[in-house]
Amino acid sequence: MKPESRLRTVLTKGLFAVTAECGPPKGAGPDAIRKKGDLLKGYVDSVNVTDNQTGVVRLSSLAACALLKGQGLDPVLQMVTRDRNRIALQSDVLGASALGIRNILCLTGDHQSFGNQPEAKGVFDLDSIQLIQTVRRMRDEGRIIGGEELTEPPQLFIGAVENPFADPVSYRVVRLAKKIKAGAEFIQTQCIYNLPRFREFMSQACDRGLDAQVYILGGITPLKSGRMAEYMANNVAGMDVPDEIITRMKAVPAKEQRQEGVKIAVETIHALREMKGVSGVHIMAIEWEEIVPQIVEQAGLFPRPPVQDE
Amino acid sequence: MKTNGHLNYAIFFCQRLDPSQDTNRRALEKELGSHIRFFPMPCTGRVEALHLMRALESGADKVYVVTCASSTCRYREGNARAKKRLEFAQGLIEEIGLERERLEILPISSPPPVSVDTMARELMGRETKLSPSPLR
Amino acid sequence: MITAERKPLSEIKESIAPYKKMLIVGCGSCVAECASGGEKEVGLLASALRMDAKKENRELELLEMTLDRQCVFEFIDQLTELVDEYDAVLSLGCGAGVQAVAEVFPRAIIVPALNTTFLGQTKESGLWLENCRGCGDCKLAYFAAVCPVTRCAKGLFNGPCGGSKNGNCEVDPETPCAWALIVTRLEESGRLDALATIHPPAQWSRQQGKGPRKIVREDQRI
Repeated sequence: MKPESRLRTVLTKGLFAVTAECGPPKGAGPDAIRKKGDLLKGYVDSVNVTDNQTGVVRLSSLAACALLKGQGLDPVLQMVTRDRNRIALQSDVLGASALGIRNILCLTGDHQSFGNQPEAKGVFDLDSIQLIQTVRRMRDEGRIIGGEELTEPPQLFIGAVENPFADPVSYRVVRLAKKIKAGAEFIQTQCIYNLPRFREFMSQACDRGLDAQVYILGGITPLKSGRMAEYMANNVAGMDVPDEIITRMKAVPAKEQRQEGVKIAVETIHALREMKGVSGVHIMAIEWEEIVPQIVEQAGLFPRPPVQDE
Repeated sequence: MKTNGHLNYAIFFCQRLDPSQDTNRRALEKELGSHIRFFPMPCTGRVEALHLMRALESGADKVYVVTCASSTCRYREGNARAKKRLEFAQGLIEEIGLERERLEILPISSPPPVSVDTMARELMGRETKLSPSPLR
Repeated sequence: MITAERKPLSEIKESIAPYKKMLIVGCGSCVAECASGGEKEVGLLASALRMDAKKENRELELLEMTLDRQCVFEFIDQLTELVDEYDAVLSLGCGAGVQAVAEVFPRAIIVPALNTTFLGQTKESGLWLENCRGCGDCKLAYFAAVCPVTRCAKGLFNGPCGGSKNGNCEVDPETPCAWALIVTRLEESGRLDALATIHPPAQWSRQQGKGPRKIVREDQRI
């Protein structure tokens, strides 16, 4: 049986997809990933593995995806352009496909100055759009950059990220269109707390007919506390956390704030399910992966629909 | 006249503060000889870090830059520039182990004209922890 | 111009420690423009070094000089008669100048007093900003004269990324987001559709070369 992307299957069948994110450990042990895989199995269609997120050295996304694949999950390989040149990137694309990984998310990545290796050379040989284009060409034409033919093309469902809340705001939908033009087939957005603003973004995207060209999964990050909400509002670039959300979180006693965060997440998912152009939800509960099953259940998305592998 | 243990002084000042400075400084110059040097400037904005360095290099233990009061500089920001340059020179001498306090900038305490003689005596009479420069 | 900053005195002192008689040579071009290596700066550094030596009862003789440019033989040649009389040359030229001098006098000891930093502009008195990385493949025409290689921290040709905040870069909130500038400029001049183009990956070989790059112009050579 040829491995297929469960994510792609779910989306092409018109079902509301659920993906989650999983952060690898800062160490060489495979167990941490396996445990997270076990937690998520059955509750999500696919699992993203981050790629040295924030420039912090972690077990590689490629290796972690291979481990998750071994557990029967459908991993999404996140690949940033910060750390590898085009030789390494294209090579890893081939390697991922050979390991049965069927989804790739192409990103630029956070700048190296944020992480624990600030003196590292930031590579940025390609940007995320060039990477999308590269993977697409490798898959559909069987060629690498420069035109040389591959002996066997990779099989990958290609994704990208978009942040509807980043500057310049007016340009976000234009950028989305550009990613689609480059070859993106699915989009996972930055986490949503400002629903009206996200609605506006989706409305513009639909006006341009982009919803017919790409599958958009809305990002959700459950808040753990009022302080987390405040931190994200003030310290994380490209994040829009409305005051009402911060107030709502802080109004609740400390012990109950996590559940309030879950409530907000579930409400947001319900809103996404009703929104035109939104094909799924991407739950980024980094270092809180154990909360994902509860969120998926409360959002009415459990169990995941059975889909046949082709 | 009381001065601080035969310290050598260099005094840069705006000529506007004492239009008769040429005459008024002679008494002190005669009395103290090489222990005092006056540098009248068309504006303290003309003072450069290099002037301050050379003053120290040629034996000054303490260098004063006396400016017009803050908003009265005839060239608007001359005294502000002098302050920045003095601070720059302070950084440089600190790197070679000389005290920042050897360079000091201050606005004139009473409205001009003030005799440069009075000005200088007042400055030299001030208490200081500075010892003669290690360059001597 | 090429910008540079004076090395800390402690570092300069350490590299010239054995020398008692030195030529201290400035450059009247780029480093004079950025107030780090011109005639004035030669004077300042020489004064500081002399005072420092005197303080420590060390012998130090310095001859102060400034060449119009330190990267061109015709000017470096002005040192030819002098070099042998000195223990070493302390150069306030940029890295190009220091090395050009060293090539003309390979047996002399040439020591840098500056850390050469970047190619940039004098935005205002006392403020220098990097704006070119010498990539050898200038694309300013496509990006409204804002260089993404230099001014975008991630060098994106198809930016912006998702991190800019209030028009500033996520990496340094005091740095404008180059892509915010590009988008704004294109928008204001009615060229926003230019951004629909997907710019392909750069040819970095034009910047990296095969080691140090060179330009040969036969029409200019004798």
